[in-house]
Amino acid sequence: MKARLIILWLIVGLPLLWGIARTLANSMKLFL
Amino acid sequence: MTLSFLDRDRTIAPPGYNRFLVPPAALAVHLSIGQAYAFSTFNLPLTRLIGNGESAPDDWTLAQVGWIFSIAIVFLGLSAALFGRWMERVGPRRAMFTAALCFGSGFMVSAVGIHLHQLWLLYLGYGVLGGCGLGIGYISPVSTLIKWFPDRPGMATGMAIMGFGGGALIAAPLSLVLMDHFKTATSEGVLQTFIVMGVIYFIFMMIGAYVVRVPASDWKPANWVPPAQPHKLVTTANVHVDVAWRTPQFWLLWGVLCMNVTAGIGVLSQASPMIQEIFGGRVTVAAAAGFVGLLSLFNMAGRFFWASTSDYIGRRNTYMVFFLLGILLYWLAPILGRLGSVSMYVAAFAIIISMYGGGFATIPAYLRDVFGTMHVGAIHGRLLTAWSVAGVLGPVLVNYIREYQIASGIPKAQAYSTTLHIMCGLLFLGFLCNLAMRAVNSRYYYREPALGELDTVRTRS
Repeated sequence: MKARLIILWLIVGLPLLWGIARTLANSMKLFL
Repeated sequence: MTLSFLDRDRTIAPPGYNRFLVPPAALAVHLSIGQAYAFSTFNLPLTRLIGNGESAPDDWTLAQVGWIFSIAIVFLGLSAALFGRWMERVGPRRAMFTAALCFGSGFMVSAVGIHLHQLWLLYLGYGVLGGCGLGIGYISPVSTLIKWFPDRPGMATGMAIMGFGGGALIAAPLSLVLMDHFKTATSEGVLQTFIVMGVIYFIFMMIGAYVVRVPASDWKPANWVPPAQPHKLVTTANVHVDVAWRTPQFWLLWGVLCMNVTAGIGVLSQASPMIQEIFGGRVTVAAAAGFVGLLSLFNMAGRFFWASTSDYIGRRNTYMVFFLLGILLYWLAPILGRLGSVSMYVAAFAIIISMYGGGFATIPAYLRDVFGTMHVGAIHGRLLTAWSVAGVLGPVLVNYIREYQIASGIPKAQAYSTTLHIMCGLLFLGFLCNLAMRAVNSRYYYREPALGELDTVRTRS
């Protein structure tokens, strides 16, 4: 059950982190 | 084929099931349908399908393409309102499966429309089919999460609805990467991008449908005891969905959501030109795009933060913060603009947009408090019509008042002041609605039909 939980959170978490990182990188242009 | 594995009975969790598997299942659905917020990345490429790189006379116009998103949002509201009761009856798995089918096939029908250059197929595909996928998908995990987390309903629904805000953060760069990958000398790559995204989102949403489980009727969290004396707005009874919308509380909450969303969506729709015009020349187009991205981040984070906070300070108090702090910040924004403080201006709008997202994410738990858990998903679906109204009202208010101001000779940099002050007025209306909230009268409570009444019904049928 624990492994399933970790895999599932990775499946939804990794794309979200990728999207957040890309957005943050773009947002920096506001302050540079 | 009966697809019996989708039945509600087949989704009842076995003993020992970890309830923290349900939020990522809900997130899988909401992160997918949140793509809708990033649909604008397709707008320009869709106007260059024939001209290939530039718009040809036979290409669709931006205004025509803009209708695809508008139709999708209208069908989001309609389907959430119409299919709420059906969703409560069939359970979250069948609802998520239906949403995945609608959303995925919406992309496919649109891809056919792009191939044949028939705009009505995009209206039907992404607009109608996709819109139904958005509406059913949006409400599908809500009541299930509330039943799994009676101790933290705000946090649980906030986590899922956060996905709807976060979906755009994935979809916007993903669409650009895919279009870039499929672009050729003769094609913009939109057709292939639609097909790939349709497949990806269908699979992603099906993961959610496969994992989701409903708790057994007698289940409650280990060591959790319902509070002996709940807050005066929190009910332990239930109100039927067909009765709920006749109560004043439903319409007060409708007003609360509508005013909160109108204020936020108006700003979101004009965020990029607004910051460029207010700080004339100091904020470039690229920096303004960064501002929009930052607002998306706060929109997403606010959903989780505010909904979780509401578990501690109460739903009514949370909305009081939204309205009072919102009024203060909207009032301050034009002053910050005149002072030329970009960072303070950005900070003010980041907080405003976090409360816009928080308004969406906190409303399911507010509904649970007021109407009970029995039909909370269906009631939530009907309440989302406030979103459809706000989706039209907010941008119209901002756009038309700005145009009127500029036509009256007011400099562009100051043209938003009146609009932002009108937003303060809308938030004050929302504040009054929230202030008027009281517990539902017990005459509206749902009571199981007595045995005699059941016999009468059976004899009649």
